[in-house]
Amino acid sequence: MKFDSVIIGGGLSGMVAGITLQKAGQNTAIISTGQNALHFFSGSFESLKEPGQRILDLFAEAGVRLHYSPGLWLTPLGTFKESALSLEDIDLFPERKFARKVLIVNFLGYHDFFSSFLAEGLEKQGMSCRVRFLNLPELEKLEQSPSEMRSVQIARTMDRLWEKVVQEVRVLLKDEDAVVLPQVFGLQDTSVPGRIRQGIPARVIFAGTLPPSVPGIRTQILLKQRYQLLGGTYMMGDEVVRAHVHDGVVHSVATKNLDSHYLEAANFILSTGGYFSKGLISNPFQVYEPVFGLDVEYKEDRNQWYNPAFKEDQPYMHFGVKADENLRALQDGKPLQNLYVAGSVLGDTRPEFGTAAGQAIRTALHAADQILKK
Amino acid sequence: MNANEFDVIIIGGGITGAGTQRDCAMRGLRTLLIERSDIATGATGRNHGLLHSGARYAVNDPESAEECIRENMILRRIASHCIDETDGLFITLPEDDLGYQQTFVEACRKAGINAEIIDPDLARRMEPSVNPELIGAVKVPDGSVDPFRLCAANMLDAKLRGGQVRLQTEVTGFIREGNVIKGVHTLNHQTGETADYYAPVTVNACGIWGQHIVELAGVKVGMYPAKGALLIFAHRVNNVVINRCRKPSNADILVPGDTVCVIGTTSTRIPFEECDSVAVTPDEVTLLITEGAKLAPSLSSTRILRAYAGVRPLVSADDDPTGRNISRGIVCLDHETRDGLKGFITITGGKLMTYRLMAEMATDAVCRKLGVEKACQTAEIPLPGSEEKSFEAVAQKIWENPTMAQKAAVSRMGTRAARIRTGNKRDDALICECEEVSVGEINAAIDRLEVSTLTDLRRRTRVGMGTCQGEFCACRAAALLAKAHGCVERERADLEDFLQERWKGNFPIGWGDTLREAEYTQWVYKHVLGL
Amino acid sequence: MKLQEYTESHHNFEECMKCTVCTAYCPVLQANPLYPGPKQAGPDGERLRLKDPYFFNQALKYCLNCKRCEVACPSGVNVADLIQSARIKYDHTPPKLRDRILASTDFMGKLARPFAPVVNGVTGLGVTKTVLDVTMKIDRHRTFPKYSGTSFEFWLKRRKKEQAAFPEQVAYFHGCYVNYNYPQLGKDLVKVLNALGVGVQLLDKEKCCGIALITNGMSAEARKHAIHNVAQLRQAVLDKGLKVVTTSSTCALTMRDEYPNLLGVDNADVRESLLLATRFIFEKLEKGATLKFKAGYHKKIAYHTPCHLEKMGWAIFSEKLLRMIPGVEFILLDSNCCGISGTYGFKKENYEVSQAIGEPLFAQIRSVNPDVVACDCETCKWQIEMSTGYTVMNPISILAEAIE
Repeated sequence: MKFDSVIIGGGLSGMVAGITLQKAGQNTAIISTGQNALHFFSGSFESLKEPGQRILDLFAEAGVRLHYSPGLWLTPLGTFKESALSLEDIDLFPERKFARKVLIVNFLGYHDFFSSFLAEGLEKQGMSCRVRFLNLPELEKLEQSPSEMRSVQIARTMDRLWEKVVQEVRVLLKDEDAVVLPQVFGLQDTSVPGRIRQGIPARVIFAGTLPPSVPGIRTQILLKQRYQLLGGTYMMGDEVVRAHVHDGVVHSVATKNLDSHYLEAANFILSTGGYFSKGLISNPFQVYEPVFGLDVEYKEDRNQWYNPAFKEDQPYMHFGVKADENLRALQDGKPLQNLYVAGSVLGDTRPEFGTAAGQAIRTALHAADQILKK
Repeated sequence: MNANEFDVIIIGGGITGAGTQRDCAMRGLRTLLIERSDIATGATGRNHGLLHSGARYAVNDPESAEECIRENMILRRIASHCIDETDGLFITLPEDDLGYQQTFVEACRKAGINAEIIDPDLARRMEPSVNPELIGAVKVPDGSVDPFRLCAANMLDAKLRGGQVRLQTEVTGFIREGNVIKGVHTLNHQTGETADYYAPVTVNACGIWGQHIVELAGVKVGMYPAKGALLIFAHRVNNVVINRCRKPSNADILVPGDTVCVIGTTSTRIPFEECDSVAVTPDEVTLLITEGAKLAPSLSSTRILRAYAGVRPLVSADDDPTGRNISRGIVCLDHETRDGLKGFITITGGKLMTYRLMAEMATDAVCRKLGVEKACQTAEIPLPGSEEKSFEAVAQKIWENPTMAQKAAVSRMGTRAARIRTGNKRDDALICECEEVSVGEINAAIDRLEVSTLTDLRRRTRVGMGTCQGEFCACRAAALLAKAHGCVERERADLEDFLQERWKGNFPIGWGDTLREAEYTQWVYKHVLGL
Repeated sequence: MKLQEYTESHHNFEECMKCTVCTAYCPVLQANPLYPGPKQAGPDGERLRLKDPYFFNQALKYCLNCKRCEVACPSGVNVADLIQSARIKYDHTPPKLRDRILASTDFMGKLARPFAPVVNGVTGLGVTKTVLDVTMKIDRHRTFPKYSGTSFEFWLKRRKKEQAAFPEQVAYFHGCYVNYNYPQLGKDLVKVLNALGVGVQLLDKEKCCGIALITNGMSAEARKHAIHNVAQLRQAVLDKGLKVVTTSSTCALTMRDEYPNLLGVDNADVRESLLLATRFIFEKLEKGATLKFKAGYHKKIAYHTPCHLEKMGWAIFSEKLLRMIPGVEFILLDSNCCGISGTYGFKKENYEVSQAIGEPLFAQIRSVNPDVVACDCETCKWQIEMSTGYTVMNPISILAEAIE
């Protein structure tokens, strides 16, 4: 099958590149080994201090409602982290004390939302808190399974039940000026968080839970839908097993599912992610990139991969594939003409593009721009 | 007798201390056990978990071998829910001397160990993961034991018989009147409170830290710390213990235990200052994998879960620097006869699985000093939880159609699993999915088994011992603990400590899936949860 | 190999990061809380089963084998294979008579065919359905597929000479459905392939692919079918140099993947030569062959990706073929399981769950209101037709209808 560009890796980076290329008229394919890291997304783009209009438009066109407001967001464990850009349902506060009195509402039997940690964290900031639990009979079916009172399953029920939650919260609400709810709303129906806010006469904050992240999955669905609506082909659950490279040019790739039916393209983007998604693979002797065998920046001495203190910065998380200023992949020190690298597989090798989500998005746009320039 | 007075004080909450407390309690004494941290945090919690048949010592140390096989048989009776009766193989590889097998088997038989030479083919069928190139095999009654369960069960029995326990409490000095030890000064690390306790006899059962204790009492004992490193593989590769049929050496035992298997061990002398911060070195990791792969080749391509090290208390019989050929004999020192200091006993040396005998010796000495004439019954009466053998039968008896979590609870707690609140959706919710640990089981541990931290909980319920190493369950369990203790601030610190402990065991083998998991855990805790 | 250079485990279960993404995409969990979910049933359960077979959970039978957990897994764990392997290895409950009957499609087909009109009449009766519901626990709502009076094999054998005359040849694994229930699909395939200059021949003697035997606890029998079919494939592929096509997505997945992964039957030498017909046709067209489409053909088609095709990643071929037809208004339905999962949905104890699983798909079909639903899987067809009333056609049949 022939495409203008083939993108290897369907996470945030790959999808941003795919959307950009499709919008510019290219016919592209994205190959993704399973679902991606957006499933563990906090909802806040900490690494994007100044997103710029292009990025904001890209998300807006996909139906992903963002808001830009440099400040702090509330973490599931009741601490605060700095960010400027986040999904609409994640509040960004100018200062930690965002209310006088807070009502924290959880579901009885839901262990992945940490109401006690949130209460303690907020009380430390001078807000008085009250924690209450909802006991909804509709959730009883879910609770019959010892392991299914989890974010996604609850969220699926909430698409139908959110109005009842609003009713119950209104009954519980006394004189609090803020309500904290778990982030289990708006999985399929993106209007729900907004409507909940409208229905409760207090500031409604959606605080995160243990993964999977409902806002993250929602974002993933919207971006993928946008990509497909623009005509892109998203190959879910497939993996590139071999690349055909000749004279510094990638001609085609072979995937696990399509075996001898190669995917040919004029340009390729590698956005396979870090260790989790196997964009980089490690063994006792090396860290390598499995699809093309690209040059990887890492420490030869394995002892230098780790900081023995868990909370400290870890060197191995900075390793990545080497690329030139145009993000062309380096193999044996030489750039491949038509292979670009984007996202966390780059590690820290191109620090000018930032880190995490910021890196994912900026490098994807840059790679797409390089391709479109040709 | 007032509240701070006892018949005997036992210092050290490892298996020796717990076993001694049980024996003393069974003989009617009022006992107090003091432990500076949690149960089984010394060598007890950092060994192979091997229920020796004793075969390993038959050639060089027949006395130890005899002790082992006797205790092996006893523990199968009294501690059945802590033991997996796996059998063991001593294999001869092409590079080993097959002639040693005969010497080995004869020595075993002399020591009363049922060692049976079997055809290598049968060995391969018995244990499919064994190195197929083996040229000889001997079957022995090895098994595996869970030291946390064993320790907890002994302490529980003592408590049921009126014994008291002070965890997180350290002995800071002795109350001494002339040449008599009358009691101890203690400091509680959690509350910061000090307290004095009195008893006519004090037993030092602190393993290698016993050196420090005797020094506090003003006497000297020659103990040598010998570090042993081990690796845990992510799943149970073998079902039969695999040993090398040769002179005991490094990394030649692969032990299956619950959902994992363990390869070990090494033996290196370390200075006393390092005893509280032992780490596994890259060389040790390489050695363990290399030697382990000779026992079971699949280990070279099996995910490793964590690396850990423990410190043995060795009392040297000669000048062997590795400490390996030291007699594993039990050392029971009556400081009255030895040093003229009354009211003080040290029990040390030995091994995990001869703890009961060590406890018996110590308790006999205690009773002699107190003029109590009661026989030891610890070999006859089963530990709480071990009253019935087959865990399947127990599970079916308690619940007609046991769920996975109920089955898992019985495999951990034996008959005492009946006391868990279960059978309703709130208590049956799973906190740890890897090891099937329910809310009910965790609350039971918090309520009745002296749990202060996540690591304590982990030792008693296996929360966080699965391949994710506490990725999600640590947080969920932390919330339950915060509720129980009423202090979130403390739980935040506890969560950090727990993750640090897990990381300590992960980065020595930080590659492949372990590194992926570590990256994921970093991501979740730092960027999503905001720890 | 250097020590720990790579690691391997049964169906990659050790690579599980416990991220729980698989459980987010399992269709069963949303409808049946008794099912522990793919993570618990698969990689979590595997460690416990290795500790003691007593930890095998009977609730694994609620797994649809839809493979969506595998499609979603970012770590490459073959979760569904792990679950089905565990069922094969640890579940020794003998299959009920009902399950044996449902799984023995060849046998039932052969029995029913000669009496097709009577059988069809009887199975369509409410009374029969009630009796089957009560006695065999085959849910009364289910419509039994009708049996055809003439088998497809019989039809094709009569045209052997004319098919042999084509310059290019391909072998057709027709499967039970085409042979006993709906030979028209086979005829449609022959029409399309002939239009491309390709003649169709049968395998020497094919047997049911065996998927229902696997999921109903009859893996030993399934293995016999697998060994037999792989030998048949070798005859066609290695001896005669032919490609083998099939029109059923599940038959394709079963013979390509389940044979080696679940039954331990090696097929590496023939696997890549067994293709879904839409892939074969697409590849021919890509290489320059052409089809002449009828003028004025118009259809609004909603395409449903069968779970097994989603796993194989080959829906793209069916999709592209349908989009090629002028006059086709093509809608790609959201990828959702229809809920029937072969014999699973026929069982009374699974019926409600089946329907609950499929409801999002049914709702979308109703809202799209297509002229026809296109789908490569016959059991999806039965489910969608019964649950929505819309007609379902295999893309090959649509192609056949659209060409001159």
